[in-house]
Amino acid sequence: MSIYDETDSDEHPLLRKLINLGLFLLAQGVAVILIAFVALLVSFVPSWSATSEQASLLQPGETRSGTLFLKDDGATTEAVRLGIDVDITVSGPTLRARVTQVFRNPSKNWVEATYVYPMATNGAVDTLKMVVGDRVIVGDIKERQQARVIYEQARRDGQKAALTEQERPNIFTNSVANIGPGETVLVQIEYQEPVHQSGNEYSLRVPLVVGPRYNPTPIVQSVDFRPDGSGWGASKTDPVPDRDRVSPPVLDPARNPPVNPTSITVRLQGGFALGEVKSHHHAVKIESPDNVTRIVRLADGTVPADRDFELSWKPAAEKAPSVGLFREHVGDADYLLAFVTPPSVEQATQKPLPREVVFVIDNSGSMGGTSIIQAKASLNYALSRLQPNDRFNVIRFDDTMDVLFTTSVPADAEHVRQATAFVDALQARGGTEMVPAMRAALTDSLGDTSMVRQVVFLTDGAIGNEQQLFETITAMRGRSRVFMVGIGSAPNTYLMTRASELGRGAFTHIGSVEQVEERMRGLFAKLENPAVTGLSAKFSDASADITPAIIPDVYRDEPLVLAAKLDKLAGSLEIKGRVGDRPWSVTLPLQNAAEGKGLSKLWANRKIGDAEVARTMREMSPDDADKTILRLALEHQIVTRLTSLVAIDKTPSRPEGEPLKLSELPINLPAGWDFEKVFGERPQQVPTQLKERHADASTQPTARRPTPAAADTIRLPKTATSAELKMTAGLIVLLLSLVLFLFNRRQPLLTDAG
Amino acid sequence: MRRIISPVTLALVGVILFGDGAYIHAKAWLAQVLLERAFTKSIASGQPTKPWSWADTWPVARIEVKRIGASAIVLAGSSGQALAFGPGHVEQTADAGERGVAVYAAHRDTHFRFLQDVVVGDEIELTRSDGKRFHYRADASAVVRFDASGIDPNTQGYELVLSTCWPFDALTSGPDRYILHATLIGTGS
Repeated sequence: MSIYDETDSDEHPLLRKLINLGLFLLAQGVAVILIAFVALLVSFVPSWSATSEQASLLQPGETRSGTLFLKDDGATTEAVRLGIDVDITVSGPTLRARVTQVFRNPSKNWVEATYVYPMATNGAVDTLKMVVGDRVIVGDIKERQQARVIYEQARRDGQKAALTEQERPNIFTNSVANIGPGETVLVQIEYQEPVHQSGNEYSLRVPLVVGPRYNPTPIVQSVDFRPDGSGWGASKTDPVPDRDRVSPPVLDPARNPPVNPTSITVRLQGGFALGEVKSHHHAVKIESPDNVTRIVRLADGTVPADRDFELSWKPAAEKAPSVGLFREHVGDADYLLAFVTPPSVEQATQKPLPREVVFVIDNSGSMGGTSIIQAKASLNYALSRLQPNDRFNVIRFDDTMDVLFTTSVPADAEHVRQATAFVDALQARGGTEMVPAMRAALTDSLGDTSMVRQVVFLTDGAIGNEQQLFETITAMRGRSRVFMVGIGSAPNTYLMTRASELGRGAFTHIGSVEQVEERMRGLFAKLENPAVTGLSAKFSDASADITPAIIPDVYRDEPLVLAAKLDKLAGSLEIKGRVGDRPWSVTLPLQNAAEGKGLSKLWANRKIGDAEVARTMREMSPDDADKTILRLALEHQIVTRLTSLVAIDKTPSRPEGEPLKLSELPINLPAGWDFEKVFGERPQQVPTQLKERHADASTQPTARRPTPAAADTIRLPKTATSAELKMTAGLIVLLLSLVLFLFNRRQPLLTDAG
Repeated sequence: MRRIISPVTLALVGVILFGDGAYIHAKAWLAQVLLERAFTKSIASGQPTKPWSWADTWPVARIEVKRIGASAIVLAGSSGQALAFGPGHVEQTADAGERGVAVYAAHRDTHFRFLQDVVVGDEIELTRSDGKRFHYRADASAVVRFDASGIDPNTQGYELVLSTCWPFDALTSGPDRYILHATLIGTGS
């Protein structure tokens, strides 16, 4: 090579250099164009599969009772249309939401529609109304099975019927039977929810879409031994027994316009002079009739239901009131709701305890798009906040998982740099096997009791086997505390709230990249500052049924929320605890409580939540827990796992003999999600399928012959690979490099001869 | 030194591209070897056997065209992943030998390349994983669009359709499919 350099330096060096350079650039240019062209072709391949991979016809998971007929063509135009209106009234500590779903049937058939929708985690659904023409039918609360039977009966008899069922505490299904051709039926549900408070800020969240869940497939049966060590156990089968009930069809945003237009109105009466009111993910118009009231509407009228609505407000005063006490008299009992924000004591004299933090990041397919960006940004922020005397570790998981360091390492610059590089390289793909990751995070291998052990878990919670995760946390939490960070536009808040409750941590939600820093700072304030521990509450005179029964630790700026059922409204409520290492107590006289609305429902809903937790923790037998839940739900008219609301219009409307079609309403993909990452290659199903269900023949499923494939035609899968293309392109490029090489070699020889 | 870099880089790109393409073929070939073993085992044991431990599919049948000496092991399902390893049995179509139409699809440049040599009148042999054998005779071929295959899933006959992309020697994928239709003529070996 040195020879070339020498031969370069003869008579016309400048000219030759220029020629060489020119030729080199030309060759390079050709190569670049070629490669770009090839890359373009290759990149077309997946988009081809988008149009051709509609191959599979019907997934077994979609099979429900009843003969299934699949309509491939023009199904979209026949589908039931849905509009949603959400009307929320906030009065002080609680809010009441009225969700109206408008089902319109543009087809020529009688239709049964089902719609899967999300619900605020702490919402107590207590009212169902069905509006048909000018008649309003109010639903009754019934045991779930009984409600189902009543609904099915009405469906067969051709009566209009509506049924509200709970699939998960935050996923509900509405079914409406016998919507006539061209008819519109309104279904209205109402729920009561406490307003969320954190520090100086109050907020509410209206979930508008259920993110597609990863439902692990059972491979082997797992065995659960009884905790008493008797050696007896029960084997468990499917981790998600109701997988087809929580998996509605999802539309690919790239190929369908958004569906389910939603309008939202919030009437805000905070009970104090309001300061800043902010909608985090939607453009809104805010009216202020007076200084304690705001009316918030969507700026564009309606939005597609593809992300959660989040509204927060602050008092005009510097500091939010640190205590709130509200009462309601229902039947012969008084219900009380108390908010107390413990003082934040600065631990100036004492250095915070060193911590061992295990970060877990979900890089499954559902995190694709903006979610993974938010998760990475959050984790990088968290890494940068670590102190040198802290120890940490990072775990990533999809359907596989990696633990970065074999054991937690000191957070020195080198380790943090390694972790940052590890996080930056993550890509969202694969399924969501959350349980093994949680298990790894909770494994306390250091066992160093001089350190506080914290698990920070970043995920969208898009799984269907929540119960398994809860059981893992309960069984393995030890001294670790679990902090859930919910990522994305529609995280599974039920999972986050319950997991952080069981893990005695806190839940933080990050809905957009802009929120990362603010929310993570808030989380770190919680991680770094001592919690208020050992809390207890006592009523001086009244005998009370308090919920939560065991008061969880309260983190900095979080209020303690207590609900109680009292026999009489007298005396006072005393709350005691420890802030850091100092005792703290506060006494609230009950006669100062203000009138509140729907507190009894909130109390009952919290009690139901307590019973579910007790069941998870095995403090209560499943039978006892179910009995408690059923009693509370029936008494307070709340939809739960065991109770449903059902409304029947007694006037039959569908003539005998007319068939009834079942329409499962599709939902949007949550904003920022990547369709292909969640569902693999593009749709495995035609988005809006109409399933026909004969109303008169649903009693004997066995009598019908199952037709394996009843499609009009069979779609053939894509059957070409890019192998040939790549190999040809590779050869061309190789050839080109050879030419270039020879050319370079020849050039100096020629000049030598010249 | 400078001059050597660009050809070497270019050569590297060429090798990677070529290797990527060759990998697809290698995978297709290797998978068939493993599948052949798993299939033999399935016939012997009567249980579906996974060809490798992390596979999400299993062999369901063997297709043979004796005249041209072609054979391939068919997998359950026709997802893109399964098709990389072998022909796939398109979901929701009948099993071979059952009433209805059994549809198998595979890549035109790997497992079903031999379809271009199969002519109407050829005998196609199908061995199911339960060991039963079925003989079909090819009676028609057609080029159709993927979404308008014209295959009647509710047919009352015993039929077989083999499908692959069309044209065989194209470099990019398109919406056209080549289908070969066959009808059952006999069972047993």
